[in-house]
Amino acid sequence: MSLLSVRGLTRRFGGLTAVDAVSFDVHEGSIKAVIGPNGAGKSTLFNLITGFDRADEGSVMFDGASLVGRRPDSIVRAGLARTFQNTELFEDLTALDNVRIAADLGHPGGFLRSAIRFRLAPGERDGAARAMHLLRLAGIDGFADTPARDLPHGTRRLLEIARALATAPRLMLLDEPAAGLNGAETRTLIDALYRIRDEGVTLVVVEHDMGLVMEVAEEIVVLDRGAKIAEGPPLLIQKDRAVIEAYLGEECGDDGC
Amino acid sequence: MSDVKGSRTLMTPHLALIAAAVAVAAVPLLTPDRYVLKVLVYVGVNVIVIAGLALLFGHAGQISMGHAAFVGIGAYTSAYLVKTLGAPWLVGAIAATMLAAAGGLVLALPALRLRGHYLAMATLGFNEIMYVVFREARAVTGGNDGLGGIPYPEVAGLRIDTPVGVYLLVWGVALLTLLLVTNILRSRPGRAMRALHATENGALACGIDTVGLKIRTFALSAALAGLAGALYAHGVGFISPTTFGLDQSVIYVAIVVVGGAGSLAGPVLAAVALTLLPYADALVPGLTKETIAVMQDWEADIYGLAMIAVVIFAPAGIGGLLRRASARRAGEVRG
Repeated sequence: MSLLSVRGLTRRFGGLTAVDAVSFDVHEGSIKAVIGPNGAGKSTLFNLITGFDRADEGSVMFDGASLVGRRPDSIVRAGLARTFQNTELFEDLTALDNVRIAADLGHPGGFLRSAIRFRLAPGERDGAARAMHLLRLAGIDGFADTPARDLPHGTRRLLEIARALATAPRLMLLDEPAAGLNGAETRTLIDALYRIRDEGVTLVVVEHDMGLVMEVAEEIVVLDRGAKIAEGPPLLIQKDRAVIEAYLGEECGDDGC
Repeated sequence: MSDVKGSRTLMTPHLALIAAAVAVAAVPLLTPDRYVLKVLVYVGVNVIVIAGLALLFGHAGQISMGHAAFVGIGAYTSAYLVKTLGAPWLVGAIAATMLAAAGGLVLALPALRLRGHYLAMATLGFNEIMYVVFREARAVTGGNDGLGGIPYPEVAGLRIDTPVGVYLLVWGVALLTLLLVTNILRSRPGRAMRALHATENGALACGIDTVGLKIRTFALSAALAGLAGALYAHGVGFISPTTFGLDQSVIYVAIVVVGGAGSLAGPVLAAVALTLLPYADALVPGLTKETIAVMQDWEADIYGLAMIAVVIFAPAGIGGLLRRASARRAGEVRG
C-alpha cells in the first residue's frame, strides 16, 4: 500500500497552471525523486502536499487520511516533515536547540504545565539527548553548540534535515537538499539519506543534482511546466524521449534547426 | 553533560529571583517612607506588565502597541466590580485578569494575519478605541474625571491598607509572575515562541501550532497586564483614562526594546530603571525639586534617547549585555 498518494493535484496562479493534474504514489521505505527544469512546479508541488499552499483541485492521501485543507503544522504532526529550498533555520539558536525545538513535539508541555514546576521535567532532558542523537545521524554532531547562522552551507542543509527528523516523521520531503553543496558535502548528504531511510523514514527528494538523483532514487517523477511527463526507475528515465526534450529543448523539426 | 547544563539553565534565573525576593523584603525594613513605597508599587505594577510584554514581543516577536489598554481594562473592571458593585477584591482581580485575557484573544485575531508594522498599527488602533471607551463609558469609568475612592485590596478578610502591605502584595505578585514566566520561557512554549520569532515557516515545519501559540501568548500577556491594572487601581486608589493611553503603550514597548528581545531579566531591569527615572528623588537623596521637575518634563525624551542609544550601540539591549557578561565570566572560569 502506498504511504503517500497524490491524485490530480492542480494549482493555478492567475493564467499560469503551476501544477497541472499531477498524480503519483510513494511506497513506504522507498526513496523517490521529483525532477524537472526550473519553474516546472516542483516546489509548488511540495508546498501543496505539506499545506503551505492550497490546491485548486486534487487530493493528497497520507497513510489513508486526506491532507487537503490541513494546516502545515498539523501535517507535520501527522508524520510528514519537510525541508525548504532556502533553509528556514532558527539563526540565533545553536544547532542543538534548532533540533530540540522540533523534538519538543514528542513531549507534553503546555503553558500551565510549564509554568508550575520547580524542576526540569524528564521530557526536557530526554529532548536534549534525542536532539544530540539526530545531529549524529546527520553527521554534524561536532557543530552542536554553534549558532545556526555561523554554520557552513552544507551543514545548514543537514541541520534542517536533522530538525525535520526530530518530528519523528514517517515521510520526509526534501527540497533541493544538495543545492550549493560541494562534492564532499554531497557525499555526506547521500550517506545521511541512506541512514535515514534505513531508520524507516520514507523519502521524497526534489533535486537538480542528477548524480545524486540517479544514485539514491528508486523511482523518479519528472515534471515539466507543471505536468508529469514521465515516471519510472532511473535507467528508464534517462532514456525517456519526453524527458530528454524537456531538459535539452525541442528536437529539430523538418525545417532544420 | 547535558544534565548539568539543563539544571544550570533553570537554576540561574531561580537564584536571581531569590535574590530579588530578598531585596524586595529588605526595602520596608530599610525605609518606611510612604513616597518611596508608593513609587515602588508603581515599579512593581510595571514589572508585571513588562514580564507579559517580554513574553509576547520580546520572545514571540508579536508587537503590541495596545498593552496600556489591557492595564486599563483590568483597572476599570476591578474598580467597578469592587467599588460600585461591592464585590470582594479577589473576585475583582480575577475578573480583571480574565476580561483582559479575553481582550487579548480579540487582539490575537488580527495577529494571525498581520505582521510587523501592520500588527503595530492594528494594536495601536485597539488602544485608541479602548481609550475612547474609558473616556465615554462614564457610568462605569467616571469618564475624564476618573474613578476615585477605590477600596484597598482585601484578601481573606485581611484589609491591606498600609503602604508596606500594598507594596508587599504588589511585589509578591510580581515575583510570582516572574517565576511563572521564567518557567514558561525555559520550557517547550518558550522555545516555540523563539522559533516563531525567528521564522514562522521553520516553526510550522517543526509541527508548532503557530495559530494556537499566538492566541495563547496574546491572552497570557494581556492577562498579566489586566492583573497589573487591578493591583494598580486598588493600590493607588484613583484611576483616569490618561494613565492607559497610547503614550503609555509606547513606553512599554520602549522598555522591552531597551531591555532586549529574547531576555526577561533585561526588560525587567529596564522597567525598574525607566519607571524610577521620573521619581529618582524617592531613592537618590539630595536631588533638588528643580532637577526632578526637569527630568519629569523630559521623561519621554529620555526614553526616546535611551531607545535610540540601545538600537545603535547595543541592539540586543540590556539582556544582550547581561549575556555577554556571563559568557565572559564562564570563559574566565574555564580558562
